[in-house]
Amino acid sequence: MVSAGLALSLWSGEVATAFNGMLVLDGPALFFKFLFVVSAGLVILSSADYVRRFQRFQGEYYALILLSATGMMLMAATRELLSIYVSLELTSISLYVLAGFLKDEKSSEAGLKYLLLGAIASAVLLYGMALVFGITGTTSLAAIAERISALSLSGLAGTPALLMGVILIVAGLGFKIASVPFQMWVPDVYEGAPTPVTAYLSVASKAAGFAVLMRVFFTAFGPPLEIGASWGLLLAVLSLLTMTVGNVAAIAQTNIKRMLGYSSISHAGYLIVGVAAMGLGSAADVWSRSSVLFFLASYTFANLGAFTAIIAISNKTGSDEISDFSGMAKRAPVLTLGMSLCLLSLLGLPPTAGLIAKVYIFNAAVHQGLMWLVVAAVINSVISAFYYMRVVRIMWLGTPSSEEKVPSSGALRAALVISCLGVLLLGILPGVFIRLAEAAVKMFAS
Amino acid sequence: MGVTIAFWLLAIMCIISALAVVLGRNIFRAALLLALLFFSVAGLYIILNADFLAAVQVLIYVGAVAILVLLAIMLTRDVTAGGALNKFRLPALIFSLLLVMALVYSVLSTPWQISPQAPLETTTAALGEKLFGEGGFILPVEVAAVLLLASALGAIVLVKEKDGKWKSG
Amino acid sequence: MEIGLTHFLTLSAVLFGIGLFGALTKRHAIAILMCIEIMLNAVNISMVAFSRWVAPVDLTGQVFAIFIIVVAAAEAAVGLAIVMSIYRARQSVEVDKADLLKG
Repeated sequence: MVSAGLALSLWSGEVATAFNGMLVLDGPALFFKFLFVVSAGLVILSSADYVRRFQRFQGEYYALILLSATGMMLMAATRELLSIYVSLELTSISLYVLAGFLKDEKSSEAGLKYLLLGAIASAVLLYGMALVFGITGTTSLAAIAERISALSLSGLAGTPALLMGVILIVAGLGFKIASVPFQMWVPDVYEGAPTPVTAYLSVASKAAGFAVLMRVFFTAFGPPLEIGASWGLLLAVLSLLTMTVGNVAAIAQTNIKRMLGYSSISHAGYLIVGVAAMGLGSAADVWSRSSVLFFLASYTFANLGAFTAIIAISNKTGSDEISDFSGMAKRAPVLTLGMSLCLLSLLGLPPTAGLIAKVYIFNAAVHQGLMWLVVAAVINSVISAFYYMRVVRIMWLGTPSSEEKVPSSGALRAALVISCLGVLLLGILPGVFIRLAEAAVKMFAS
Repeated sequence: MGVTIAFWLLAIMCIISALAVVLGRNIFRAALLLALLFFSVAGLYIILNADFLAAVQVLIYVGAVAILVLLAIMLTRDVTAGGALNKFRLPALIFSLLLVMALVYSVLSTPWQISPQAPLETTTAALGEKLFGEGGFILPVEVAAVLLLASALGAIVLVKEKDGKWKSG
Repeated sequence: MEIGLTHFLTLSAVLFGIGLFGALTKRHAIAILMCIEIMLNAVNISMVAFSRWVAPVDLTGQVFAIFIIVVAAAEAAVGLAIVMSIYRARQSVEVDKADLLKG
């Protein structure tokens, strides 16, 4: 929290660099650092009850969460392919261990699957980086942009290796943000991993992936270059696939962690809409970038809040099935209220942050001529109402299986209250935060 | 001429051992062939004027990773089960073939900017300068140090028994 | 015929494809890890070949390859540790129930 305050006080500061410009402290880097500190803090608060399940190694659990948060902060702040890769792996390796932390059958399997697919994805990412390095002869993002424009390429068609490199980098990063074609790990890993780790994965790890995606594509392949339109369109198609796959699969789920897993896939789809708009727009177009930042903030609070409530409830019932949430409004009114608010925000209803975030990001896309994508995204949002509302309805109108109250610790309640406050604050006073996000992306150091 | 022969020999060795690892039935044999693959790649590095990297390859891959894999296979006593392929054989084959074709096409039809400079004869000192010197890659070195800490921590947490005893056999 | 950049790149692409096929189809967790190592070696061949021909004095490609080796070793260690813990949980390391491609 101290470092969060420090980050905020630096918000209006100058852009600073270290390590020969490899590490940069600019608006987006600060924004993401703040996001990671907040989500790591909330996850640690909500773990307070959960860690009793580990007989040993509770200290190591927190250490690994902090190590992966360090990796994420570095991911958001480096602008050089090699450093990005190493910090990405620091994040991933800590998370692999955390996913397998319970050491029972399901959790180990989640860790194993996460690790194997993560390693395949990072090999794919590396191949893409190798091709980009081969074309430009450098790993610094800014220098890559210079070389590409010096080659005076007309679109990606002139050098197929560059096109392959870009596709492979998108696919490799797609693993972190859980987009098609690397989305299949999500439900199994989310279900098997310890619930606080699932919350962390769904929020911070995804945001870190977007931090890298935005920095690489804005700085290295960004709008002054003509290739922007090519990958913008590529991402638009990817986003359509991702949100549709996530939403359609979520409807059929009976386990709440799996359902939120698929819902996080579809949110990755909505977020890619903004990144695609960034590719199609000009460098001066602030909206597409700031809308991604705002959406990430709103998604972070809503998803963390929902998971916090789930941790408390399933600690009591010992089950993650949606049917066991029946009648929770009578057994745990505060938890249910908070969780419903967060689910409504994920769905995008007023007065929550989700509505503003969706309107903002879709608006940015419409400005770049992605009308078809926005229509598809709105249809997807309507589909998603189906499964979010089902959970809300079961919790408020279902009959409880017992009258026992659900206990929760003070730390956990604090995490839930902070998340809900975040959701409401971003929803009711969006102007302040949108201006902050816009100020942040204007400082994108190239 | 010598380089040409060496390249083709090593390339064929690489591909054959890789195919054997993927298609072989016995996982123990596959691990040994993997070590052979690592050796051939080290040979390729020597052709590519990367002497230090060849040494690193032999030390870490052959010396550490291959041994680690062999140990894990012996500890899990599942020696013969490594051959089975899952039901995604055909789609995976088609996908991999398409990817290889796309990669080979893009590699062959891209005009690479070949530098006229001659490569360095010995790379060790230059690599040290590049890693730790002025304008070098000191940041990733430091991040990699933290990464190794995280992975050591994680491996210990995962392998240690719940009651605190070390796993035996 | 002179051995040039494209020879190495083609070899690397073929090795990468073989490794990917193995990683997607194997059922034994350790076998999948081995296939991933093949993929990473393929990437390294590309990196070093680019380093030799595109930036011969700069050596950035070789530095990158060194880091890939370091990270691959760390990843293998954690991967095998998870394999041990899964083996202890159920006496088998088949990834059958969790086929990698099944969502």
